[in-house]
Amino acid sequence: MRPTLLGLYATLIYVFLHLPLVVLAIFSFNSSKLTHWQGASLIWYQTALTDPALLEATANSLIIATFSTILATIIGTLAAYALWKQKARWITASLSVSLVTPEIVTAISLLALFQIIFRTLSLQLGMHTVVLAHLSFCLVYVVMVILARLRTMDNTFEEAAQDLGATPFEAFWHITLPMLKPGIIAAALLAFTTSLDDYVITSLVAGVDSETLPMIIYGMARRGVNPAVNAISTIIVVGLGVLIVISQRLEQRT
Amino acid sequence: MSLRRIFLLPASLVTIGLFLVPMTIVLAYSLMTRGPYGGQGLPLTLENYQRFFDPLYGEILLRSFWIAGETTILCLILGFPLAWYITRSGPRRDLLLQLVMLPFWTSFLVRTYAWVFLLRDTGLFNTILMATGIISQPLPLLYNHGAVLLGLVYTSLPLAILPIYSTLERLDYSMVEAAADLGAKPITTLFKVILPIATPGLRAAAFLVFVPSLGTYLTSDLLGGGSTILIGNLVQNQFTTARDWPFGAAASLILMAIVLVGLWAVTRNGEDVL
Amino acid sequence: MRRRNFFMALSGLAGCTSQTKPRLNVINYSDYIAKETVPAFEREFNVQVRYSAVIEGSEETIAKTMSGNSGWDVVFPENRLVSPMREMSLLTPLDHKKLPNLTNLAPRFQTPAWDKSLEWSLPYLWSNCGILCPSKLAINSWQDLWSQTYKGKVTMLDEPSEVFAACLKVLGYSINSNSAEELRKAQKLAIDQKKILRAYLNTEVRDQVASGDVTAAQLWQGSAQLTIDQAPHLHFVHPKEGYSLYCDCVAILAESRRKDLAHEFLNFLYRPQVAAANSKASRASSPCSEDNEQVLAKGEWFQTSSAPTQRLRDRLWTEVKST
Repeated sequence: MRPTLLGLYATLIYVFLHLPLVVLAIFSFNSSKLTHWQGASLIWYQTALTDPALLEATANSLIIATFSTILATIIGTLAAYALWKQKARWITASLSVSLVTPEIVTAISLLALFQIIFRTLSLQLGMHTVVLAHLSFCLVYVVMVILARLRTMDNTFEEAAQDLGATPFEAFWHITLPMLKPGIIAAALLAFTTSLDDYVITSLVAGVDSETLPMIIYGMARRGVNPAVNAISTIIVVGLGVLIVISQRLEQRT
Repeated sequence: MSLRRIFLLPASLVTIGLFLVPMTIVLAYSLMTRGPYGGQGLPLTLENYQRFFDPLYGEILLRSFWIAGETTILCLILGFPLAWYITRSGPRRDLLLQLVMLPFWTSFLVRTYAWVFLLRDTGLFNTILMATGIISQPLPLLYNHGAVLLGLVYTSLPLAILPIYSTLERLDYSMVEAAADLGAKPITTLFKVILPIATPGLRAAAFLVFVPSLGTYLTSDLLGGGSTILIGNLVQNQFTTARDWPFGAAASLILMAIVLVGLWAVTRNGEDVL
Repeated sequence: MRRRNFFMALSGLAGCTSQTKPRLNVINYSDYIAKETVPAFEREFNVQVRYSAVIEGSEETIAKTMSGNSGWDVVFPENRLVSPMREMSLLTPLDHKKLPNLTNLAPRFQTPAWDKSLEWSLPYLWSNCGILCPSKLAINSWQDLWSQTYKGKVTMLDEPSEVFAACLKVLGYSINSNSAEELRKAQKLAIDQKKILRAYLNTEVRDQVASGDVTAAQLWQGSAQLTIDQAPHLHFVHPKEGYSLYCDCVAILAESRRKDLAHEFLNFLYRPQVAAANSKASRASSPCSEDNEQVLAKGEWFQTSSAPTQRLRDRLWTEVKST
């Protein structure tokens, strides 16, 4: 009896997790703003996809996420490798603390930093500040994932390579790095989605030309229910879903 | 090894420049005085910290801890059976796990907004309930403590399931079978065999849910209707509408200190978070 | 192969961001300008304007620009925020020689109390706060928002100044009161109201009133009027105890690098047809016209609070929200 009860419970939880998104998606095709179904229509998708502010925000989000992810993955992988070889307590401690820092606190600390630096240098907030801000939290995730992966790995391969005459760098590049590939992909994916999704930190450090998608969604959501938000949300969910599935397939092939 | 130093250099710069220095600046701000219309300046003072030791802010802090606690407990209770189910589901494991994580990968704002859409008086739940005649007036499902809790649990649940699953996965099921063979009832097996093994996962899950829930303000903003104020709202207010950066900085550092003390107490046996 | 594509993409991006036309950055409330105003300005002066309509509450303007390097040129602060912004050196003094259209301002707005010589700001649109509710209901005062009849169906704005203004008016005091005693009584009223209050909501309450989720909402007249256009069974009430008046002004930030162009934009806003169009689109009143005299009569302008009063008000508001 127990398995079936558990199975029922599991089904309920899955419904709970997915229902809101499914409902959101269904009503994105509703031709009216209300919750009464009034015929299928693509009008909200049209509104969403032709809104210049929205398109620009999406482009910004993608650009920021790409740059942050690339930087964080490179810096983070190298750092995780170095930390695996030999601990550096101050770095791991700082990264741990930044992990438990509430987002709003991180956001204001970065805003304060940018305010001071930029005022003296006469620079303005913009895409670069957002990328830097995202780098700071993406880095933590990358280091976490890669370090966890490295700790399950056997370092005798590297030792063997070095016994055979490879330099430390060659050992890293030709032995460890390829073995880390699935972990690197996972870390990059984590960094990318976190960067795309961030609202709190971005809203405080963004400049004039760097409005991101979460900022627009939040603005629209705060002005009331708007099926265009449903449409955007569905596009995001499906888009990210496809991205995840593709990356999982890639990971399974390596 | 100099290779190691080179590898560590960029990360060190990022840690110093984007974490340690900003935190020091926040510390400095927390000791300054607010300017007459905002901004901050000397003289240095401890007044911002003293101001926090006031029943009003203590109450806000307590309320935030309470709701974060409720969220955590609910996530653990709801998440554990599901994690167990996935562990025991054989070849469909990966798929089931992916299905859990999929909502989590999508936008947090979107997921919170979805609940606004569902819970409004003219939202889906009320529309269905009224259409089927179960109720005659719409239920006020939105803008209360329950709605905020629901939103928090919804966004945190996948995050709780994952660590619980990864510890349960390493459980050797033959131990459970052995316990059954020795005559133990399922409840006993649960508490004496399974839970002790799952404890690190439960701890990690609690940690991953509690900390972000503590600093939340978006969920209570969108789902709570601005009627209650949590510590996240308070800090955010100080840096936007109230323009009292020194006080906001002090409040942030106090919050962080509490979390760090809690973290230290929980990982006393020296495990690193990282 | 991959590296080459990356660099090509980078240079493509760089190309996209290089400007050929001068650009102006303007930030304002949502639904607060006529659709045609910005494109018309862009065409006539051959410039590009980034017009961002994201501000919800009046305090956000200062919060966003306080750092002094936000990148915005033209902002729309509320009248009571002009002094603080000036004190914080955030604004540029206006050169009236570049603003010939100021003669179109109605006489009563040419020397407003908050900026007598119009040195730092110009009145853009003014309006008042009141109640949005269905016409068939007998609501005509702030006191009605405390009535048990509407339990769970009343909302107030998520703005301490407006909520306290309503409470102070019910008690018969000035909305700019800085007496601790009066403010505490107002606070007590606000806390009492929480028993029947649904939530503190700003513009998002609009479609909830239209659909009936909410019966009566404290709302600004411009926003309310826009809702009534879509839902004619509603109407806007000017509470009989009196109400708050506010004027959103337009100003140029000190950090702006395009002050001349900014002045051109401001001047453009005061052409009679442009001002009229903005007023019509936002449903707020234009300071260029003499209309709505009677609204001004029963209203009271918001004034800047002194720092200790502001701190007291912040504290009282936190207490209200915390109860």
